[in-house]
Amino acid sequence: MTDIHKLAGTIDGAARDARAIAQLSAGTTLTLEQAYAIQKASIDLRLTRGERRVGVKMGFTNRAKAVQMGVHDIVCGRLTDRMIIEDGGTVDFARYVHPRIEPEIAFLLKAPLEGVVTPAQALAAVEAIAPAMELIDSRYENFKFSLEDVVADNASSSGFVVGAWHRPDIDCSNLGIVLSFDGRPVQIGSSAAILGHPLRSLVAAARMTAAGGERLEPGWIVLAGSATAAEPLRRGLYVEAEVQSLGRVAFTIGN
Amino acid sequence: MRTHDAAILAAAERIRIAYETGQPTPPVRDQLPEGDVAAAYAVQKVNTDHWLDGRRRLVGRKIGLTSKVVQKQLGVDSPDFGMLFADMALADGEEVALGRVMQPKVEAEVALVMELDFAVPDPTLTELISAVAYAVPAIEIVGSRIANWDIKLVDTIADNASAGLFVLGTTPVRLEGLDLRLAGMVMERRGDQVSFGAGAACLGNPLNAALWLARTMVRVGAPLRAGDVVMTGALGPMVTVASGDVVDVRISGLGSVRTAFSA
Repeated sequence: MTDIHKLAGTIDGAARDARAIAQLSAGTTLTLEQAYAIQKASIDLRLTRGERRVGVKMGFTNRAKAVQMGVHDIVCGRLTDRMIIEDGGTVDFARYVHPRIEPEIAFLLKAPLEGVVTPAQALAAVEAIAPAMELIDSRYENFKFSLEDVVADNASSSGFVVGAWHRPDIDCSNLGIVLSFDGRPVQIGSSAAILGHPLRSLVAAARMTAAGGERLEPGWIVLAGSATAAEPLRRGLYVEAEVQSLGRVAFTIGN
Repeated sequence: MRTHDAAILAAAERIRIAYETGQPTPPVRDQLPEGDVAAAYAVQKVNTDHWLDGRRRLVGRKIGLTSKVVQKQLGVDSPDFGMLFADMALADGEEVALGRVMQPKVEAEVALVMELDFAVPDPTLTELISAVAYAVPAIEIVGSRIANWDIKLVDTIADNASAGLFVLGTTPVRLEGLDLRLAGMVMERRGDQVSFGAGAACLGNPLNAALWLARTMVRVGAPLRAGDVVMTGALGPMVTVASGDVVDVRISGLGSVRTAFSA
């Protein structure tokens, strides 16, 4: 019998202490459903400590990333206000185990989305769109995990930064994206790498959250997933993502 | 000196024979002084002159080795160039026999077309921009006359920078207000998305590559002319193709271009 709450406590502790742990799947057999239950229970622990839910992240929405991590399904995770990194701000490296960064597109919702929706319905619920980065940080040793492990670990989500919001009527199907460290490009790609079109990721988010008994709420942010492979972070870096027509978003990592 | 010239002529001939017979040649680098870029361009020029005498018409240049990844693979820090002849141009959407290019691969690029002759010595980027008529999305079908693409820098330079065929889109866009650096690129093969990128992958900006070429062409005494096509270099990873494949490239702000391969 899998103890969801015990495993959720294990994951939550690892995240709080920025400490790598062994994969949960090494000690017990997990179904994907149980993994999402662990994710929910571990985030509930954060909410009882006063964190506030602010949205959803999508993961493994691009092929390069899925190949990099050896998984083959898209996943979703939960965003809380404590994960917010201020655009232009500084993050404390010690808060993380082995952080990586991904350039993304963020959607801000003005209406709820629930279950199976069309891309047109999804777009109609979007208030604004912005350039974004997600800081991912697996709580597992060596950033290695099964699909169930990573889902239980909130899809590795640890932090995110969002740039200036733009009207959603922009064609976001093929926006050039450049991720730079200290001004030098380290990943170059296109928003087309996000499931072929970032809106498809929003459609998937509505469906997957409904399967978990939630809906996407007005005011929530949905991170559509990475447009490129993830890059490992180091102390002292100036990290910047530029997205065609959407501008830039940046932060610095403290020493 | 005489043996040096003989080696250049012999290497050029091996490449020409490979073209004519469809049989790739072993690398030509063993025949040339190690890492001798000037000798490699001399080989290329022997064949260019040969083909121009044979009434092929020069219509532009291609720039190669513009991506950091590819430069690292070949251990170089500079791009290279090759010649584009009129018979290498395909129409947008035209089907081409797979065997027309040896060991073909495809790349998505920005092509620039010159409005003016450009013989400015030591030109600046703004002078170049002012001399460009327009940009179009493009596919380059690269190929290698060297067996198994076993190339080092001198091999690819000698082999016309691994040029094959090129396909230009048909919706010219002026450079005013066009952000080529952040222009997104997606390539589909039979509808499957196989390569992604942006203008920044080409020496930081396709215009940087074009400026490098324009300067180099002035230096070697063969400046770009009005109407010349400049294939500026790949925006994302190159992709292999097989017969039956159809390849579509979309570049944000420039539109799309297609090529297809028959048996």
